[in-house]
Amino acid sequence: MNMEKMKIIITVNDRQHTLFVSPDRTLLEILREELNLIGTKKGCDDSNCGVCTVLMDGMAVKSCTILIPQANGHSITTIEGLERENSLHPLQQSFIDYFAVQCGFCTPAMILTAKAILDENPNASEEDIREGLHGNICRCTGYKKIVEAIEAVRDGEYKESCGGV
Amino acid sequence: MEGLIGKGEKRIDGYDKVTGKGLFASDYVNQFPNLAHIKAYRSPYAHAKIRSFDVSKAEALEGVICILTGYEPGLDWDQFPKTSVIAKDETLWAGQIIALVCADTLEIAEKAIELIEADFEKLPAVLSYNEAIKPNPVSVVDPDYETRPLGFTDRPGDRASNRVSPNVVGAFKLHAGDVDNAMAKAETIVEGEFWTGKKTASPLECANAICRYDSDGGITMWSNGAGVHGVIKQGICRILHMEESKVRIIQPYMGGSFGSRLNPYIEMLTALICLKTKKTVSFQYTREELFIGAPSNWPCMTKVKLGATKEGTIIANDYYLAEEIGACLNNTFFSGRLSSSGAIPVYRFPNLRMDTCAVATNTVPAAEYRGLGCPEAEFGIECLVNQLADELGMSPVEVRMKNIIDKGERDAHGELITSIGLKACLQSVADVIKVEEEPKQDMGVWKKGRGCAVGGKQNTPLGRSEAEVWYNSDGSLQLFISCDENGMGATTTMAQIVANEFQVPITEVRVTKGDTAITPYDNYSASSRTTYNTGNAVKFACEDAISKLKEEIARVYGLHPSKVELKGKKAFLSGSHLQEVDIPSLFNPTSMFTQGNWGLQKGSPVKGRGIFCPAPIHQWNDKGLSDRVWNWFQYSAAAVEVAVNEETGQVKVLKVASSADTGNPINPKLVESQIEGGVHMAIGFYLNEEHLFDENGKIANANFSDYRLPTILDMPMNEDVYPLINPDPLPDGPYGAKGMAESIVIPVGPAIAHGIYKAVGVRVNGYPMTAERVLALIKEKKAKEAAK
Repeated sequence: MNMEKMKIIITVNDRQHTLFVSPDRTLLEILREELNLIGTKKGCDDSNCGVCTVLMDGMAVKSCTILIPQANGHSITTIEGLERENSLHPLQQSFIDYFAVQCGFCTPAMILTAKAILDENPNASEEDIREGLHGNICRCTGYKKIVEAIEAVRDGEYKESCGGV
Repeated sequence: MEGLIGKGEKRIDGYDKVTGKGLFASDYVNQFPNLAHIKAYRSPYAHAKIRSFDVSKAEALEGVICILTGYEPGLDWDQFPKTSVIAKDETLWAGQIIALVCADTLEIAEKAIELIEADFEKLPAVLSYNEAIKPNPVSVVDPDYETRPLGFTDRPGDRASNRVSPNVVGAFKLHAGDVDNAMAKAETIVEGEFWTGKKTASPLECANAICRYDSDGGITMWSNGAGVHGVIKQGICRILHMEESKVRIIQPYMGGSFGSRLNPYIEMLTALICLKTKKTVSFQYTREELFIGAPSNWPCMTKVKLGATKEGTIIANDYYLAEEIGACLNNTFFSGRLSSSGAIPVYRFPNLRMDTCAVATNTVPAAEYRGLGCPEAEFGIECLVNQLADELGMSPVEVRMKNIIDKGERDAHGELITSIGLKACLQSVADVIKVEEEPKQDMGVWKKGRGCAVGGKQNTPLGRSEAEVWYNSDGSLQLFISCDENGMGATTTMAQIVANEFQVPITEVRVTKGDTAITPYDNYSASSRTTYNTGNAVKFACEDAISKLKEEIARVYGLHPSKVELKGKKAFLSGSHLQEVDIPSLFNPTSMFTQGNWGLQKGSPVKGRGIFCPAPIHQWNDKGLSDRVWNWFQYSAAAVEVAVNEETGQVKVLKVASSADTGNPINPKLVESQIEGGVHMAIGFYLNEEHLFDENGKIANANFSDYRLPTILDMPMNEDVYPLINPDPLPDGPYGAKGMAESIVIPVGPAIAHGIYKAVGVRVNGYPMTAERVLALIKEKKAKEAAK
């Protein structure tokens, strides 16, 4: 508590932010409390539920266990960074179309993790998807429809590819 | 025309949720620049005397606004939800609140908690049914509980005999027919004792509430609690003596509930501190608090004895159940009746002796969790039905088909069953999993087995639902409702009903939900009632609006309203020279200067209102018999193929089929979603989830590292998950629909237990069926075989 504030420069959703914050704060806290990016959720304190997942340099990370100095100089993508001017990201649309959403609390994190999975391996098999998602808890859906939504994007059912955000 | 009923319309909240733009209750923390924060000081012991308690140092900390203790004057703690009762001289469970700190920041509140000085004398505690039920238990949880005759003898719950425990705090009995006589005639008897673990619903959004002090002395609350009108507002008005006009409750998106948020444990305390401090205050539970300071489910211990003919017809069921309800004082809610209720409408039990009771323990007070005790209560019966089939050399499907109640029959209570699709559910899951065939053993130490089971759950005819529908002057529609949206898709279903009634696409319906200042009364979404209760109210509201609109249109054209038909924005008239009119064009434009503005007017919607309230029960007699104890019944069947590791005891579900009797599903895709989610939740609590206690009686695994929720890897591959729907229309449901989300979880566990038996030959008599427990049974079996 009350540690000396330090200067942090992070890029969030393609926009650079310079912050003076206490180094004991987590990336999750900074995103939610300083940048008001409330699409990133908090569900536990020990990186087990996964609802705080964001992309750091394209990799899915749990922002509740990243201290802000660890994110210094890195590029972060949150759910707010996925939607385009006139359309949703293919994964966002497929999550709606395939009923991969119920309460929605895990959804932003699920979509970002799915993006990381497909960015790394555009031909990810169901096994690969399961492996990639196993750190993200969904309490409502039973995951079947989440996997179907991701596979639909993988199989090119949506116009844009998943990359390039 | 019933255009949209039975269609998989997309969720109306999808966009909000995939973009992260939809605000959940916990996101409202960001909406207030000056928010005071509440933190709780909780008991470290399951049972302790508070020798001394000093908050002076904490109070002196700069930024601390107030500290609330159980000694706060003017409060009747008996009225508060059990989990929110602040301890005074004695703590009754580890996690019970002893003081609440309200401070300018969360950090200050946390610091203040550390400055509180307390001295406890640890007392003996009872943490389980077995300890609590002893005639002279080491701890009597509620010594003031009034002793009442329980109505049955020779069972552990009976206070009349010397063996009775003072921790028994409620009882119920249902005696139909003559069990002793029937049991004597039975050609086969199977019996067993079954137990279940204590678990936490664990929605991903932790409980939270923010309460704003309004300038007129009123309050406005945002929380993820359920039942804005019937639970939270009514509770605050009653307990804190507020005028109804001064309490406004708003429910933003909720990050899950599964029944657990029906209990307003955080809302009452937050409102109390808001009123005390006249500040906008926030109480955000941590994950640990959701285990130790929020209600758990209530585990059940059952002793079941089934008597049957050699053809497999069950003629008698001798059934004892004890609900373990935690530290619920002055209990009036629990008696075992709720848990055992689901078992009654499933099988014909011509002779049924059901004696049930509630037992208090020094653990977190129990409350609703998906299924309301039915999964716990029916586990033993289903296990024994499977055992009966095995002993008679019959298939578990066949033996059930002989005993499942048919539509038009009466259950053991005496209630008429008007909708039951259970046999079709069972057949469908048995077919896809091939339950009656042996799986090929091709996984080495992993032995495969298949099993099935069924389940039923009652719907309680409580409460009242209201709805308001607006037909706007441009033809667009608005719906106002107050049912909860825990995530199940209720708002989409309700919008679908409106769209169907007005014959428009669902996208033309906007739903405003869960704000007591705006949306009409509803109790809560509980007992899988929303589709039925709120659905009926919404349908009535549509019919009311349509009727009013027809009248207005008919007046314009000099017709009887019966000559007007509506379809979206068009009206079709018969008897006039005009056959088709554009309804919005009939709304008169207005300006500042128009006068005589009667009739249809731009900007002024035609409004319809609907109220639905199910018929009340008929009080049961001294044997628990009545022709209406509940309302209607939801049913589900499950079949699984499991693999059991002979060397480790680990159980994997390889395939699962689950079928719901939903009545006519309004949105089958949402039903499928509930089935898949229900199966997954069930796999978690049947195989793994349970509270473990440390030496102080505190939950030792109150976090997601040690209390493992099931992940995607605990689900079978997609092609091996079969959600099936076998509807039997409910006569009084909207379009024949009924609820379904709770029953799904009931048969999954006993189906797994039978799969385990088929795989490795051991019968598991309780859950969670962890690897350790299954392995112990395997070892025991091997030892017995070796001894032979």
